[in-house]
Amino acid sequence: MKMLKKIQRISLIGASLFLLMGLFQIQAQELRFIMCGGEVRAADQKVIDAFQASHSGVKVNMEAVPWGTCQDKSMTLAAAGDPVSLSYMGSRTLKQLAKNNLIVSVTIPEADQANYQPGILNTVSYEGKFWGFPHAFSTKALFINCGLIEKAGMQCVQPHTWEGMYQMAKTVKDKLGIAGVGLAAKDFDNTMHQFLNYLYSNGGQVIDSKTNKIMLNSPEAVETLEFYGKLVSVAQEGPTAFERSQLKDLFNDEKVAMYIDGPWGGGQHKKTLKTIAVPIPSGPSGTNGTLLITDSLAVFKGTGHEDVAMELARALSSGDAQYDLDSSWGLTPIMKYEGMVANPYYVNSSYWSVFVEPIGSGGPEPLFVEYKSLQTVMNSMIQGIVLGEGSAKNLVATAAQKLEEFK
Amino acid sequence: MTMISKNSNSSSKWREILRSRTLFVWLLITPAALFMFLIVGWPLLETIRLSFTNAGLGGEQYIGWENYEKLLNNRKYPAIVGRTFYWMFLSVLLKMVIGTAGALLLNAKIRGKATFRVMVMPPWIVPMAIGCIGWLWLYNGHFGILAGVLMRLGIIDGPFEFLAYKSSAFYSAVVTDVWIGTPMIAIFILAAMQSVPDDLYEAAYVDGASRWYRFRRITIPQIMPVIVTMSLLSAIWTFNSFEVIWILTEGGPRGATTTMIIDTYKMAIANYKFGYGATRALMVVLSLAVFSLLYLILLNKVNERYKTK
Repeated sequence: MKMLKKIQRISLIGASLFLLMGLFQIQAQELRFIMCGGEVRAADQKVIDAFQASHSGVKVNMEAVPWGTCQDKSMTLAAAGDPVSLSYMGSRTLKQLAKNNLIVSVTIPEADQANYQPGILNTVSYEGKFWGFPHAFSTKALFINCGLIEKAGMQCVQPHTWEGMYQMAKTVKDKLGIAGVGLAAKDFDNTMHQFLNYLYSNGGQVIDSKTNKIMLNSPEAVETLEFYGKLVSVAQEGPTAFERSQLKDLFNDEKVAMYIDGPWGGGQHKKTLKTIAVPIPSGPSGTNGTLLITDSLAVFKGTGHEDVAMELARALSSGDAQYDLDSSWGLTPIMKYEGMVANPYYVNSSYWSVFVEPIGSGGPEPLFVEYKSLQTVMNSMIQGIVLGEGSAKNLVATAAQKLEEFK
Repeated sequence: MTMISKNSNSSSKWREILRSRTLFVWLLITPAALFMFLIVGWPLLETIRLSFTNAGLGGEQYIGWENYEKLLNNRKYPAIVGRTFYWMFLSVLLKMVIGTAGALLLNAKIRGKATFRVMVMPPWIVPMAIGCIGWLWLYNGHFGILAGVLMRLGIIDGPFEFLAYKSSAFYSAVVTDVWIGTPMIAIFILAAMQSVPDDLYEAAYVDGASRWYRFRRITIPQIMPVIVTMSLLSAIWTFNSFEVIWILTEGGPRGATTTMIIDTYKMAIANYKFGYGATRALMVVLSLAVFSLLYLILLNKVNERYKTK
């Protein structure tokens, strides 16, 4: 009898504990946050910690995933009905996610909209709504190894035109036997990005975001692809095996005299190299431009706590938090911080002016419903000219035709 | 009375069934059969179902044979199928030839043969991804050892990127696949060689048979069942080989190394077209099933020929 009572008592305590734990779980809210890039940056972590401290019962579960698989993970989880709360990912994915009803649109107050650099909000806009908070921004410039240029008997100055750039690269190749320029043509997203830098410097575009009309089949695009093909003769051996980060290795090893990279490039080059960063030279039909790439914080639909996730995303991308991230990570300023903080890091800097000044003439990463297909089609076109498998005119026309299916 | 006798009859029947060997066998098989259904049958049925839908990020709808029609009208697909079979044929042939030659060497009566047998294992033991990343560096034209050696020997006059061109990328991938797959073939064939009775060789030797004659008339027929099995298994593995190509080239440049399995992955996972991807996955299953059937028929005939002689 005593034993029976003991068992009853233990069962009662166990059941009460179980119920209490259940209640606690109902009250606690867990935000699942996928951070593309393989690490949670200190500036972001600071905001997340403060958010958790000010929102009792909210726990932010961070998962840092490398870029190669990150976007696929967020998207397939959402498609499988198990969405994460929010994800930091490339803005190029937003149109596809929005079209498939997997993310919620976000509200950016008009006062805040005015703070962003020109063109930034276009990278997260679709059908008149914003689908993510822009959280990282980059523009590109041409890095030149002055040591090699001077060794080849030239002055290390900015080439203003494509022809000037080509002649500079050719002289290096002819006189030193070293590749004049680093060219990316691997099956990788930044192959398309590198081509777009040239395209936007020649007045071309891929798609008109307002009319959703494919604009690739144009004389400007043909000229750009022809120039890309021409660069092969003065580039490193086998461009189809290289993407941007590998070009940086060649640049550091003095195996290429120049290549295109983002503002972080300056900090990743060997300190012994004498380098300059200059705007991307302009093509015959345009003025020097750049590709405007942003990564955004997207809030996924169907978690039941979209409002809390939205609040966190807003906190992470707010003026002060965003400034901390941009300045600590060497990113192109996503906002016009001049009116927000005293003496921002890029003002009065000749290095930063190269990355900030072309923002106005830059073009966005094209938004397509199937962004991977866009990448495949564009890369195939670029590889076609690099491998000599067709004329620029035909390759551009074929690519433009294929893109119709994915817009 | 009749009722009682009926009841006793049926219960004795049940007892008989329960005691029967058939039921016992089925009881033993059931867990494995259920497991197989769960991990093979159900996914296969689900893939077949998906292939008739437009499943993607935004949900799915039944679309009948549309995916199949689209695939059959795809001008690039026959080239991918052809490339897959060529990749499989070339890779398996090289693995079998090198594996058999390696097994012969490892079977030789020399000192330290155990050490040699251990030394052939690393390509198989090392995780495939790590092995492939190693090859990625070997093939690098600017920093890799292969281009470096070829330049020093004067065979090439500058860096050569093995993975940058269509042909060189394809054959480089074959070489890596052969490197990974050969040790296992060699070890299995070696095991088969060791099971050939010495009496046969001694009798042939006494009769004056040459080494080549003994290899052709004794070794090969004796190990033929292992060769048949290993070549079929190797063919299936090679056909479905994903890691080697994905790590080295991701199917590029310009699709030159895209095999059916890479194409299926790109469509289903990378492009989120789960329905259309499922159709492609079923084409892989179908191709392999037809190939395996024809292969088995052909090789059984070869086997019979060796048995009768």
